[in-house]
Amino acid sequence: MGEEILRIEDLHVSVDETPILNGMSLTINRGEIHVIMGRNGAGKSTLASVIMGHPAYEITKGSIHYMGANIEEMSVFERARAGMFLSFQYPAVIPGVQVGTFLKKSVQSVRDEPLKGREFRKELNAAMKTLEMQKSVLSRYVNDGFSGGEKKRLEMLQMLLLQPTLALLDETDSGLDIDALRIVAKGINSVAPQAGSLIITHYQRLLDHVQPHHVHVMIDGVIVESGGPELALKLEEQGYEWLEAPKEA
Amino acid sequence: MKYADMAVPSRALHLWRYTPWARIHPSKVDVVPEATGVRFNVVEGGELVGGAPRIVNAEDIGRVFLSELGGTATTFETNGTSDVVHLRAVASGHVAVGHLHLSLKHDVAVMLHLSGEADWTGLHITGEVGANVRAGFGLVNELASNGKFLHCEDWSIARDANLELAGLSIGGFRCKSDIRSRFTGSGAALTQAISVHGVEQRHVDHHIEIHHDVPHTDSSLNIHAACDDQSHAIATGLLTIARQANHCDAGQVFKNLLLSEKARAESIPELEVLADEVSAAHGAASAPVDRNQLHYLMSRGLDEETAVALLIEGFMQSGFSSLEHQALVDEMRTRLTVHLECELKR
Repeated sequence: MGEEILRIEDLHVSVDETPILNGMSLTINRGEIHVIMGRNGAGKSTLASVIMGHPAYEITKGSIHYMGANIEEMSVFERARAGMFLSFQYPAVIPGVQVGTFLKKSVQSVRDEPLKGREFRKELNAAMKTLEMQKSVLSRYVNDGFSGGEKKRLEMLQMLLLQPTLALLDETDSGLDIDALRIVAKGINSVAPQAGSLIITHYQRLLDHVQPHHVHVMIDGVIVESGGPELALKLEEQGYEWLEAPKEA
Repeated sequence: MKYADMAVPSRALHLWRYTPWARIHPSKVDVVPEATGVRFNVVEGGELVGGAPRIVNAEDIGRVFLSELGGTATTFETNGTSDVVHLRAVASGHVAVGHLHLSLKHDVAVMLHLSGEADWTGLHITGEVGANVRAGFGLVNELASNGKFLHCEDWSIARDANLELAGLSIGGFRCKSDIRSRFTGSGAALTQAISVHGVEQRHVDHHIEIHHDVPHTDSSLNIHAACDDQSHAIATGLLTIARQANHCDAGQVFKNLLLSEKARAESIPELEVLADEVSAAHGAASAPVDRNQLHYLMSRGLDEETAVALLIEGFMQSGFSSLEHQALVDEMRTRLTVHLECELKR
């Protein structure tokens, strides 16, 4: 077992006094890929946002430990600099900011050292090649006029460049065609061995390309079932109803 | 008309509502002070010749005043040898005035960088875009941060011509710009983009008039103002489409990014459409920094200050998105980036 990257204990989270997470616990070790599945509104995206430190969410009980330290007081950018990465379900559109400029600033901030132009370009080219991206994307504005697939590829490009210790992927596979899904999976697989990964998804199809170690089902803000990859297949066949029935029945 | 015979314009006119004549005049309104000339020179491409066409029949107090102040008059005329021309204008002394005339008969992008320490700068730019010419003109106002600036522009756009106007306003303490364009031939198009950065108590007032006097002409105006501290940005637009000018397509968009509680922005688009078969639209929006955008950037390791600076840069740069002249866009981006980096270190 790899070293512990993330430990969530009895996490309770509210937004505007509405409870969303109700006692969530989860531990992710280095090299592990965890998948969380669940219906819309189960709290999956909230979990990813809370781990990343979105200010709209209030932790009312429980704790999140990252690399052994409680991160409740850390701001979003400090978490990013500490090696946490969230691939957004709906990445923000930022008109006027070129992708190239943004990537450079981001990588520079996270690495906390001046980038050597030539080395960064080399690194960038390699990552773009892996993701089969055109160089012209670098002069476009961040996510402005991007298709769903292009947005997700840009998220993957950032992940490849930032080389996170914890990768949170919030429905990165939603709305992707087969080719885009394959490319996104390539990005995940290249980062996963060195990191702890948490993939939030609705679909089994991503798991044809990314082999998870643990699959969890979330209902009403708690994990109600955990298993291996076979659990995702069962959910694909049977849906979530069997999990909502009382366990003893 | 002479300046001495003119009445101080009423604040009921929206042209003078937010920056009354007395506030932009260099001294007392009944005085025409001694002025030195703004120094123009060519940094790259083309050459300047002395003299500029006299401004006749001007009825606007600003134009009459600039004309009577005198100063330098110079003309730039294209000869088809340069695609991109960089001009510099430097204003120094108490009152500095210049008139630059641009005669654009070939495809070209002209950039004018205005800088200097003058207490008061007056600049009149007149331009003619020849038939079927694709031209661009960009003005970067980098005047010292404590000076007043009165700026008038008058453009005529001939048949099938395409003019792109870019303005980056990052200098001067109190600035009044009055930019007017008129189509003289059908099939012509104007794309105008202005970005303003307001800091401290900077006051920047743009009045833009676009007159569609002939049919089949298109115009687009985008003004983006990012206002911080106690700054105040004003943009008033007047778009006219004459009765006979059918099949025109015109739009005005004003956007303001408010970065502090005391920053103010006014956007007043105005349309006078007398023709029936036209498309004319306008819109205005003011908002603080978008929290989702900020969160996204911070989730990529940028601290709040850097993230906000990048959003300001993006907001101002996106004002130029409608321009197709890459030289203009690149120049505006470069100047803007340098300016914001200096601001961040301030």
